[in-house]
Amino acid sequence: MPPPRSQSQIDRPVPLQGIWSGTVSFSLVAIPVQLLKAVEPGRVSFRTLHRQDYSPLERRMFCPAEEVPVPPEEIVRGFEIAPARYLPVTDAELESLAPERSRTIEILEFIDLKEIDPIYYDHPYYLVPLKGGEKAYQLLAEVMHRTGKAGLARFVLREREYLVAVVAKEGALALITLHYHEDILPAGEFSPSEAPRDLAEESRIKRHINQMLAAFKPEKYADERREKLVSLLKQKAQAKGMVEAPEVEAAEAEGPADLVAALEESMRRIKEKQ
Amino acid sequence: MSRKIVEIHGKRLSLANLEKDLYPAHGFTKAQILEYYRRMAPFMLPHLKDRALTLKRYPDGVDQEHFFEKRCPAHRPDWVNTAEVRLEDHESMTVCLANNLETLMWVENLASLELHVPLARVGSPETPDALVFDLDPGEPANLLDCTRVALILRDLLRPLGLACCVKTSGKKGLHVYVPLNHPEATFAATKKFSQAVAAIMQKNYPELVTAKMAKDFRQGRVFINWEQNDPKKTMICVYSLRAREKPYVSCPRAWEELEGLAGQDDPEKLQVLSAAAVDRAEKLGDLFEDVLTKKQQLPHL
Repeated sequence: MPPPRSQSQIDRPVPLQGIWSGTVSFSLVAIPVQLLKAVEPGRVSFRTLHRQDYSPLERRMFCPAEEVPVPPEEIVRGFEIAPARYLPVTDAELESLAPERSRTIEILEFIDLKEIDPIYYDHPYYLVPLKGGEKAYQLLAEVMHRTGKAGLARFVLREREYLVAVVAKEGALALITLHYHEDILPAGEFSPSEAPRDLAEESRIKRHINQMLAAFKPEKYADERREKLVSLLKQKAQAKGMVEAPEVEAAEAEGPADLVAALEESMRRIKEKQ
Repeated sequence: MSRKIVEIHGKRLSLANLEKDLYPAHGFTKAQILEYYRRMAPFMLPHLKDRALTLKRYPDGVDQEHFFEKRCPAHRPDWVNTAEVRLEDHESMTVCLANNLETLMWVENLASLELHVPLARVGSPETPDALVFDLDPGEPANLLDCTRVALILRDLLRPLGLACCVKTSGKKGLHVYVPLNHPEATFAATKKFSQAVAAIMQKNYPELVTAKMAKDFRQGRVFINWEQNDPKKTMICVYSLRAREKPYVSCPRAWEELEGLAGQDDPEKLQVLSAAAVDRAEKLGDLFEDVLTKKQQLPHL
């Protein structure tokens, strides 16, 4: 059985792994950079177990018409155009649409950072300079910070093309993927139509706001449910509340460890090819 | 009753009932059966040589009663090669060895349509010279499913340095043979190895493969019968006819042919009838020759 999850895994994951490297470029400048994750949602995830014996459960695809489990090679994608009417789309067709992997974050325009409505912000990343790019990186970060500008770029990550903003942040550069304009739902429909101005009410609200004014200190707030959950898990771990899944029957019949390892390696290669 | 005396290698043999149709639904007489085995003999005899032969006899045709004969019939001609095989309780029995054409013709004159042999030869009954995966499809799984399993097995074993050969069972399944031809091979090892392979196949292709004998698990799946790797078990000999409605043969197939047929939807396309089997052997030679000659050792045991 695998070793129990360590405390650090319960506490907080350690991110900062490069997920892409290439260059940030505009006009004649090309700065080699690496892209790092900037956030790691601290979701505590659970396995589903069989209550009777704590075996971890597997998901299988099931065909309700034939009442049989469906193996992966029999699964195709279908776009539902009406109930029970589908347009099947093959992997090859999807692949043919995938944008070419890019090695550059090509800045197309510089815009005022303040102009970007936060509703467009999707996912933030850090940009870290790679060897030979430090100087230009620093310079760009500094000028952008001073002028309050952001670079707008197109960028391919994991077979999807994103619109991104390259922004300066405390002498460093960050990259934020943006939602496409067509994905933003219009707010106009539910903002109330013009109401008569009530000056007394307006100044009362202003006063309240001023009274509650503070510096933005996000560290003051934490995901309280998560903290409670983590302390619950720690309590359970200390109280020896751990249960063990039974050995799977097949494991007994698997055979000598070296042979099983060699077969598993071979099987992995077969599946890679498929 | 019609009789015909023939002489093979100076041995006289009296053949009976030559015109009797032993495959009545298809039309295939005893004379044709003898002729089939005569022409197949150059390819088949090396596989039969020195193996305790089990005769599966159909004296009145494939749709009538049949019986197994493990003991060599006492009425055998004195030139038939035999061997003593030890049984449990210090007993032994005399078995036939189809080591030459005349013996093969004699057993076929007994309407032994199917010839079954063990994986070891009589001189070294505990030393299998091949490991076998007997792929048996549980309905509605069919020969095409077996083909898929066989191709995966081939690809699985290749990185372990093991080549293998495949033949149709002539019934519903396929037999994948891993040649060993190694004096240190044991059934304990081939059983352990084949069981591990069957287990990992079942683990990775649970909807396609089962390694369990129980009928419930076999429905719609290919049963990898690894328990055939046993000194007491026999396999249908390569090139033997099968007692079905038509004279299908347990016939070797090239891997390329399996690859070509895997994408099609007619499972019966892989089957080979007697005439085609002879043509193939005479044209392609023995596609199962590696099983006799290739020396391989099972790794990681």
